[in-house]
This record gives sequence, C-alpha cells and structure tokens, in this order.
Amino acid sequence: MSQTPLDSPSPRASCLDLWREKNDLLVRQAKVTQDSGLLLRQQHLAQDALQGFRELLHSLRGLPAAISALPLELTVICNFITLKVSHTQGFTEDQAQDIQQGLERVLEAQEQLGPRLECGLRELWDSVLHISSLLPELLPALHHLAGLQAALWLSTDRLGDLALLLQSLNGSQSGASEDLLLLLKTWSPPVEESDAPLTLQDARGLRDVLLTASALCQGLQELITGTLPRALSSLQEAASGLCSRPVLVQVYTALGTCLRKMGNPQRALLYLVAALKGGSVWGPPLLEASRLYRQLGDTAAELESLELLVDALSVTQNSETPQLLIEVELLLPQPNPDSPLYCGTQSQAKHLLASRCLQTGRAEDAAEHYLDLLALLLDGLEPRFSPLPCPPGPCMPEVFLEAAAALIQANRAQDALTVCEELLIRTSSLLPKMPWSWEDARNGAKEPINCPLWVSATYLLQGQAWVKMGDQKEAVSEFSRCLELLFRATPEDREQGAASNSDQRCRPDVALQQLRLAALISRGLVWVASGQDTKALQDFLLSVQICPGNRDASFHLLQTLRRLDRRNEATAFWWRLEAQTELPPEDATWSLPLYLETCLSWIHPLDQETLLEEFRTSLLETSDL
Amino acid sequence: MAGAAPRVDCLAGFRCSTGGLAAGRPCVLALGAEVFLSTGSELVYVYDREARRPRAVYEFPGQVWHLELLTPRRALCVLCARKGVYCAPLDTPSRSVSQANGASKDDAPPSGVIPVGPDACILPDAALCAFTLLDNMLVTVAQGPATWKIQLFKRPCLGQDLRPAAQIGEVVFPTGAPLAGGPEEPPAPHFFPVLCYVSPPNSRAPHSRLQGPGGFTLQGVLFGLLFGADAALLESPVVLCGFPDGQLCCVVIKTLVNSWAAPGDPRALVRILHHLEEPIVFIGALRTEPWAPEAVGQELPGKDTHADCLVALGHHGRTLAIKAIEDEVGNLVPELREYRLPGPMLCAACGGGGRIYHSTPWDLCVVDLAQGIAPEGAMQPGLPPILCPAGLSICSVVALSVSPGIAKEDTELLVLSARGRLMACNLALDPTAACPARMTAAQAGRKIKDLLSGIGSISERVFSLKKAVDQRNQALMCLHEALDVSCALLSHQSSSPSRCSITTTWSRQLCNELMATCQLVNRGTHSLGPGWAWCIQVVAYARAFELDAAGTTTTYTVPVQQLAPGAQREVTLSLGFGEDGVPELPVTISCALFYSLREVMGGAFTPLGATEDPLCQALPLDLLPTRDGICLPLGMHTVGLLQCLRFPGLAVPGTQAARLTMLPTDPVDTFLRACHQQGSVLVGPATLRAKYLSPSVASIQVSAELLRAALDDACTGVPLCCATLWWLLAENAAVDVLRARALSSVQGVTPDGVDILLTVHEASRSLSSCSGVQQVVHQV
Repeated sequence: MSQTPLDSPSPRASCLDLWREKNDLLVRQAKVTQDSGLLLRQQHLAQDALQGFRELLHSLRGLPAAISALPLELTVICNFITLKVSHTQGFTEDQAQDIQQGLERVLEAQEQLGPRLECGLRELWDSVLHISSLLPELLPALHHLAGLQAALWLSTDRLGDLALLLQSLNGSQSGASEDLLLLLKTWSPPVEESDAPLTLQDARGLRDVLLTASALCQGLQELITGTLPRALSSLQEAASGLCSRPVLVQVYTALGTCLRKMGNPQRALLYLVAALKGGSVWGPPLLEASRLYRQLGDTAAELESLELLVDALSVTQNSETPQLLIEVELLLPQPNPDSPLYCGTQSQAKHLLASRCLQTGRAEDAAEHYLDLLALLLDGLEPRFSPLPCPPGPCMPEVFLEAAAALIQANRAQDALTVCEELLIRTSSLLPKMPWSWEDARNGAKEPINCPLWVSATYLLQGQAWVKMGDQKEAVSEFSRCLELLFRATPEDREQGAASNSDQRCRPDVALQQLRLAALISRGLVWVASGQDTKALQDFLLSVQICPGNRDASFHLLQTLRRLDRRNEATAFWWRLEAQTELPPEDATWSLPLYLETCLSWIHPLDQETLLEEFRTSLLETSDL
Repeated sequence: MAGAAPRVDCLAGFRCSTGGLAAGRPCVLALGAEVFLSTGSELVYVYDREARRPRAVYEFPGQVWHLELLTPRRALCVLCARKGVYCAPLDTPSRSVSQANGASKDDAPPSGVIPVGPDACILPDAALCAFTLLDNMLVTVAQGPATWKIQLFKRPCLGQDLRPAAQIGEVVFPTGAPLAGGPEEPPAPHFFPVLCYVSPPNSRAPHSRLQGPGGFTLQGVLFGLLFGADAALLESPVVLCGFPDGQLCCVVIKTLVNSWAAPGDPRALVRILHHLEEPIVFIGALRTEPWAPEAVGQELPGKDTHADCLVALGHHGRTLAIKAIEDEVGNLVPELREYRLPGPMLCAACGGGGRIYHSTPWDLCVVDLAQGIAPEGAMQPGLPPILCPAGLSICSVVALSVSPGIAKEDTELLVLSARGRLMACNLALDPTAACPARMTAAQAGRKIKDLLSGIGSISERVFSLKKAVDQRNQALMCLHEALDVSCALLSHQSSSPSRCSITTTWSRQLCNELMATCQLVNRGTHSLGPGWAWCIQVVAYARAFELDAAGTTTTYTVPVQQLAPGAQREVTLSLGFGEDGVPELPVTISCALFYSLREVMGGAFTPLGATEDPLCQALPLDLLPTRDGICLPLGMHTVGLLQCLRFPGLAVPGTQAARLTMLPTDPVDTFLRACHQQGSVLVGPATLRAKYLSPSVASIQVSAELLRAALDDACTGVPLCCATLWWLLAENAAVDVLRARALSSVQGVTPDGVDILLTVHEASRSLSSCSGVQQVVHQV
C-alpha cells in the first residue's frame, strides 16, 4: 500500500501539499465570504472561489490518477460541486459529469477503467464501491461524493438509484430495505481524519440535510396521493430532523394540512400556530389556516387569515444571503399548485379573499377587495405587486366581471358601470369576435377562447347595474345587446366549446347557455317591472326553451302566465314542472364562473317554494271546482 | 424607394479587432448630440457630435455585448461577455470618474479611459446573453443547458450603494430544436437572443418617452390580437424574444412572477408567436399606414402614431411582418407574411414611415412596408405582397441607429462600418414620396429630375463597379496563368515553357563592343502578358580574384508586353563595362522571369471612390505581400574569354574590316586616328610591352585519350586537334568558319585587343603517355 504524502508529518512542499493548501485556503475564503454582508460582493467572491476550485481540479486532473492524490482530488470535486450548486441554486447535468469523472479517476487509479467506460453512473458507483473496500484511505472522500450523488438523485427524483446507492454504502444486501429514510439513517459516513483537506460541508452534515429533505419530500408526496398516516409519520420525521426555520415552517404547514385532512383540525391548528411563530415565511401557513377555518365553517376567521395572507405576501422577501452549502430547500421540488406549500402571489391571495367574500355574501367587503385587486393589477408600477393570477385562477376579464358583479351586489351600480366600461374599452379592439384559432392549437396555451362570452357578460352586468339604478330603458337595451351577441356567437362557440371539453373549470357552451338564460330572465323581469307582461312572457318562454329543466325560468314563466290569467297554459306547464321535479336533478359537475353564479342568484325568485305551494293549492281548488 | 442618394458624413474611425467588427457585437446608440458606441471590445465610447471627437471612453471588465441607456438618470447599462450587467453613471467626466472608480483618479483628463470596476456590476451572471431595460425593470435572457431563462429584475437605483437587482419574476423554457443543418453541426454560437419590448397603446404607466431602440408602442388591435386579452386588460408591457433557434416568443411582463412564489406553466407564460426557422437577428415595429391628417386633432390624437406592424428579421433574410387586418367577415385577424430579403443580415433598424433599414455585407438596404398601401383602400390595408430593397450604397454596416434628421421628414442613420468607421448618413426623403397622389406638375418635374439624376449616379456607380469587377477578373486570370507558368518552370520539366538563350557577338556598327544577344522563346501554352518582366542580370567578375572587390552587377529589366506562345523576343546588351569599353571577362548573365503582383493586382484594388466604398478600402495595397512579385530563374550563362575571341584571319571578306574596328564613319576622324597611331607609337605602355616583352606562352597538357573520350561524338572523322579547337571555341561566333576549315591553330584577338594564337597539337614527350598538348600562345 502506498504511503500517501498527506500522512507524512513533515511539511514537504510537494505539489500535492501546495494544492491541498490551496483547497484549504479556498474553503476558508468561501466560509468567510458567507459571513460578509454585501450580497453582490459575496456573489463575486463565490464566483472567484468557483474559478479557483475549477483551476485546482484542472491541475489535479493533469496528473495520472493515483491513490495518493485521489482523496484530495475527490475532496476538491466535492467542494466544487457544493459551491456550484449553492451558487446557482440547483443541480444540473454538469454535476453528474463531475461526479462521473471523479469515479472514473478512481477506477483509472486501479487500472480497472477500460471496459467500464460506457456504463452509467449506477454501475460506476457499484464498481467503485467494490474496489474502495480495499482502499480505506479513499472512503471518507468517496462517502462525501456519494452524499452529493444522493442529493443529485433526490433532486432529480431518481429514488430507485438512490436507494441502491445507499444500500451499497451501508454494505447491506440489495433488497434488504427499500425505505429511503431508514437507509439514510443507517448510513454513517466515516469520520474524516483531522488532517484531511478541508471541506465546505462534510458528509455527515450532508446526510442530515438529505434525511430531512427526503422525509419532507416523501411526506408531501404521500400527502398529495392521500396516504395520510404515512405522510404524517414522514413529516414528523422531517420535523424531528435538523432543519432551518423556513424549512420548519414548511414542515409544520404540511403537518397542518395532513392533520386537517385526517380530521384533526385542532392539532392542525397547533402546528400552524407553531409555523407562524417559527419563521419569517407566513404565506403557506396562513393559506392553510384559511382552508382549515373554511372547513370548520368559521368564515370570519377564514377571511381574517386571508387578509393576513395578503398582507404577508405584500412584504418583499428579503433575499437572504444564501449559504454556500447544500441545504434542504435546494433539494425540494418546486411547489406546484397542488402542493400544500404553494401560496401564490399577493394578487392571487387578494383574489381569493375577494371571491370568498362574494361567495359568503359579504358584498361590501368583496367590492372593496375587488377594487383593491384591480388597482393592484393595473396601476402596479412596482411589478412585484402585479402578477396576474396564474393559469389556475380566473383570467383577467373574469376578474373584471367578478368585480362588477360584487359592486352591483354591494349596491354600487355606478362603480360597476365604470368597471364594465373599462373592460369594454380595453377589449374593444378585440371585438366583436376574436378567433383564437391561429397559434393556440400549436402552443397549447389556454388562452381564453370566449371573448364573446365576456363581452356579453359585461352587457348583462351593465343591464343589471341599470336595473339597480332604476333605469329600465337602459337596462333593456343592454340586455338586448347581450342577447344579440350571445345568439350571434352560437355556431362558432359550439365548435370551440366541444373542442375544449377537457377543460375542468367551465365549458364555454354551458356558460353560454346559462348566460342566455340569465339575460332572458333579466330582461323579462324588467318587462315585468314595467308592466309589459306580454314581452316578459316571450322572454320567459324562450328561456324555458333554451334550458328546459331550469326551475328559475319555469317559475318565472309560470308566474307570468298566471299574472296574464292564461290559466290553461299555466296548468299544463305546472304539470310538466311537477313531473320534472320527480326526476333527479341534473348532474352539475361543472362549475360556473363566479360572476355568472352571482348573476344567476339575482334572478332567483326569493319565495319560490311558498309561491309554488300557493299555486298548487289554487290550482287544486280550481280543479276541484 | 429611398429618395435622393444619402449624404454620408464620416465622423470618426474606431479601432477594431482583426476580425473586423462583425466578429463582436457592436452597438451604436444616439442620444441628442451624443453617440454611444461599442465596437465589441471592452470599450464604450461617448462621441460628441458637436465637438466631433470622443468625449469619454469607458472601459468595462469584459467584451461589451449590449449597450443601453438609462435615460432619466443618465447611466450606461452594459452587458459584459460572461460577466453580467454593469451600470456606470454618465455624468460630467470628472464625476463619473470618481463614481465609477472611487479611487484617486479625479484628475484624469476628460478624454481618458474611465475604468468601470467590478463594483458597478448590478447583475453578476456569466450565462446572460441579452438584456433590455423597461421603465423600471430589467429583463434578461440567460442560456442554460437546453433552456432559456427569462428573468425580470427590479431596476436598481443608482447613486447609493449598488445592490444586486432584486429578481421579481422568471420563467425557464426549453430551447427549440436546433435549426436544420444536421445535428453534427451545432447552431452557430455567435447568435444571441434579441429582445424588444412592446408597450400597450394607452398605458397609464408613466413611460419614459425616450425609449431605447428596443422599445415600441404597439397599436391596440395588434397588441390584443398578438398578446391576448389578459395583456390588453392588464396593460402590461410585453417582451418579445427572438432566439437563435428561430423562435419568436412573447412574455407578458405582468404575468411573470418568481417561480418559488407561484410557478406557472412556461408554455402559458412564454407564447411562441412564430418560428422563423433561422436565427432571429432583429425585432422591431413600424407604422405602415400614413398618419391620417383628419385623425389629428380628434379625441385620440396619439392613437394613430403607434406602430401597427411587427417585424422580425432572420439572419438569412427571412422577414416576418405581422399586421392586424379585417378578414372577409369583418373580424380582425393578424396577418402574417413572410418575405425573403437578401441576406445575411448584419443588423437592422426600423425607421419612420414603414421603412426597415437592414445591412448586408454588400449594401445597406431599405425596404418600405408601407409601399403596398393604397391611399384610399380599405380601412385596414394589408401588407405589400413583395418587398423591394433599395440600396443606399453603404456596405458592411454592422451597427445601425435611426434618428429623425434635422429636417422634419429626414431620417438620419448612424452607422458603424465593419472597419470601425462611424458615419452619419442623412436620408433626405422627398416629402412628396409619401403621398404620391397629391403631386403638382412642378413637383413631378422635380421628382423626375431627381430620379433621373439618381439613375445617372447609379449607372455611373454600376459602371465603375463593373469595371472593378472586370479588373478583378482580369487579375485573377492573369494570376492563374502566372501560376501555371510558374509551376511549369519550377518543376524543371523537360519541355520548359520558356527558354532563354544567349549568344555573344561583336557589334559591327558600334565601336567594337561586345554584345550579348539574349533570346526569350515562349514555348508554353499561355502567352506571357502584362505583369511579366524579363530580368537579365550581368555580373562581371573581372577582378573577382582581387580581394574585396565585388563584381560589377548590372540588371536589365525588360517588360514582356505580350509574348504569344511560340513567339520570341530578343534583347541585345552591351557587355563593355570597363573604362574604355573593354569587357571585364568572364561575365555571368542570368536570366529570370519576374511576375509583378503589384502590377497585376494593383489596378484591381485601386479604390474607386474612397469615401463611399468602404469595401474597396478594406483591401489596401499594404495587404499585398511585401515581396511584391515572383521571380522564376530561367538560366545562367557565363561569357568567358573563349567566347569573345575574334578571329580576323578567319573572317569572311566583308567582315575583315572588323579587325580594325576603329572604323568610324567620319573620314576626318579616321584620318585623325591614323595620325595619332602613327605619331604616338612609343607613348602607350601597351605598345612598349609589345615592343620589348617577349610573347607570353601558356600550355596545358591533357591526355589525348581523355580528350578523345570526351569529344567522342564531335571528333569522328576529324583530327583530334581540330576537334579540340572546335570544342574550345564551341560558343564562339566563329566556330562555324572554324569547322569549315579544319584548323588546328588559329590566330585571334582578345577583347582588349591583344593578339592570341591558339594551337592544339599532339605531343608524346611527356612523362606519361600524354600525347595531346594544347598550346595556347598568348602573343603580345
């Protein structure tokens, strides 16, 4: 066995010693850099250190691979990868190549490289670990490199490879245990010698980070797939590990979600409170709290948490000085909208708050929040305030429409008209029709294909606003414009509606049908109010034809028939209506846009059941006669 | 069509690297009387047009890839290659020095180089390859492995401590498939993404009106059609990116958020508008429709001044134009039209009135997208079906900046040529060209006159260009032939294409002078034309045996005007070098053919019009090799004493008189000479020597066997002595007479007038069996 120069006590100035000193110097510099306050300066220094490591590695690779030099070389590779990943905040393909080169150098030193050149990283690790059992001096550095490989595979979601690697590291037989957490816990990287070259982050520290990260990832995954008890245990494992405050907030939030879904709201609340106390990241726990209160039915608390969420998201996150280490955050996947850790942007939160207010009947608050939201989106000079609600949320015209609906609901018809006018002005260039066929099919963007829908909805809302303001003439003309547009748009939208059937949110053809219904009934109601029952009757008849099973339309028709004293028709219609009620209600899996639901709520007759009952008795009386 | 020819004003020349400016990413920006310009090196020049000299030079830590100005606060934003974005304040020179440097360089001269240190870096990122400035934001594009990353940063404040720009949004999306050309050749690395930002028409945000060259305000209809209802409702600026893979994408700025906050679908955030299938080098927007005069003064006065057509140019000349038109039903639809312009494009810019200026290595061209629009056509007239580029006769422009000229309708182009020359090019556009319908007769007349003069100047230029091309072709042909001849000569082929033979004679007419006649015969297939010269070098070694006395060298150069195949040329030279016209023998005559590159190519590279044809300047004569020709040796000939002997006794009658060659034509002179000779018998030393010294005799003994063997073929049937004499005098002009008489001894005269007797006879009295003795008797 060759005696490594590193072991020799006398400070000989060989190349290896010089390079080792350079490595130690760079590590010390990087650690000092980490503490300096200035972010820019830090970035420059990190770039310089990276360059230094790169050059050092270049020098080391200039020599033929030798066991004596390999510990240093592997350590430099580890330091380089650590710094690079923390600097660029993520793993790339380059790191895999760096690791592969390191492994190939180990094999080269043992002259065993030849036939293995074309094999993958997995196989490389197998052969390297097989050899290294004979080379104890290489083990610490190899375990360190293996830790980085594990981090890389964890971040790229190659868990199978990761488990196999850990098994090899633990020296256990393959197939012994597939539990990643268990494998990580049993893995104990050998302690580095005190005189080994310095490292930025040692293997044990890396192991702890890996353990927390994989527990959290696993827990989140199980939470989404719905295996709640396992998720709970994984998340608790993550919480018991070593983690920074922001990570702890995430773990607690996920625990809160998990417990809420398991029907444990009180315990969930405890975790959320702990999360809020814990850190500077308040978004996810507040959003989770609002979901929790919503589930509990505590609307006031729900809205309060949403308000707090809006405030919390308005605070710019100070980009905290990144540590030059591989941390748990780096290994977590980006939260997608399904994740409990996703909290969106401020405008998304504001929209959620406003729409919840509207849904829960707090029209005044909703109106205020919608106006705030529009101001935020439109006048936002600071762009951080003005991101659009992303694709899961409604698109901009719908936000405008919801705002107008909320204003009408809050008896602020004049403001609603202003909002509607604004919407019309801004989309006027896209009217009367906007064919969105050219490019949409190609890039798959869900760009709304329903511009006529929005415009007619705008007319509908304008009409409703005029109704509120008592101007029936204006109202009728707006409703008529709305209907004209709606009926003109038919054939085109039918096709498009059929094409986008997969859309979960709302099928445009259903929305179109409901809009027509709402417009017809609204106009009919105006006719009724102005005493023109015949005209009203036409509209109600049409609405029943469009939507045969709709109870609102039927009821309005029935009432008008009765008012016009067309008893026979009313009776006939009533019988048909009675027959329909026997049928199960239509499957309403689709959800309508909020503005449309609000509109439909306005044409909903208030005392439907009593009137129906009254009608039934009077009808029975007449039939008895 | 462009109106009159441009008035070009050369402002300054800047140093450029060896590869020319096209190798880097040069930029030109005009702001008032100042021109900011980078030639692709680390330097950014601030050129003052009023003072007509650079006012300041900023030195950045890396190659400058892109340059933009922060107008309200007057700062320079620069993308340095593989470094990041730097921001340097642009105040009075002294202040900027102190700010940029922070060191004690306050007393640096204003024209000195102001270094910009790493502290001015606002965005360190080695992967950045493009950026643009919005109102208060910075949009960057960085290249990752198979991805593009578009990031949005809050624009950092200058003045106080520079902090890194805070990121407010980002999106990562995959690069498109590499362009056709095979997977083995990677896409050319010298193409970079180009950025352009588009503002919505009636945006309420306080835009800085002095937009950079990459910013446009787009007409509402087109904006909505292209970018969707959300962008239109949000009145969000949109950034257009043209990528080297040919994708033209748009990103609605207000939808861009940080991915950790709310990761969005990159396909929803970055929409591909078009795929140009060649690297996009320019994106711009134009106003194609004339500003309707009746629209001015209506409720929306600014509305009609917005651009209504978006254009993108590909490297190979593919051009995309998008405009909103009404279809048959009356719906507004975007019309996409692709054109082919001659490429490759070096740079481009949009000017007023629907014009795109684009530069190719051969010319700076202008195309007019408004040309197809009839004045009283439909409301939304379409794009012209075909584009006709009109050249401005400025070639190799690598950076371009368009600004309104001094007069209202004029356009001024600031161009940077590939050789680093900054030029201002004033395009005085005839205002009548914009609205041809309303043209009076006088205007039409003037217009026709202008056009005619334009045609005249163009045809002149065409003629001169054609001439230049012909010249170059001619030069190439000559070079080709020269190369053929050279190859044949240098390969020492048996059938050498040219041969030079030399004979010496005594001139009869001139005063008894030795003349060498050189004859050049062209036996090759090409005629030796202009450029060829025949060099004859004569070296006399008369005193070569004397120490440090070099031979006298005389070189004659005879231009070979035209020597057709088979033709020959003769030159006769005098070999009388001495003081008294007596040749100093032996003389070496070497012949060579010389081909002058300068003579052949010089004509082709003469600048035609030095000021307006930079391409011609690009190849100065200095670039020709310092050894400005090719020398092909033809042969060497030594003229010795034997060749120059004269044999008056052998001379045929008629030439007998040549024995006393001092036969002047003038009888008086003859008489005087005769008197002089008789009267001064005892005066000359030669005569003295002749009188009192016995004749010198030299003899050489050569084995007869050897001689016989050597002269084997010459002496058949001839006595050996005769043959030897023939051989000795083989190159003498009298050899034929000699041969006719079969002499073994001959009496002659040396060039300096001394009698000589050459005798060859056989002897057998020597030590060995040497039987041939050749006696040369030198009689004085």
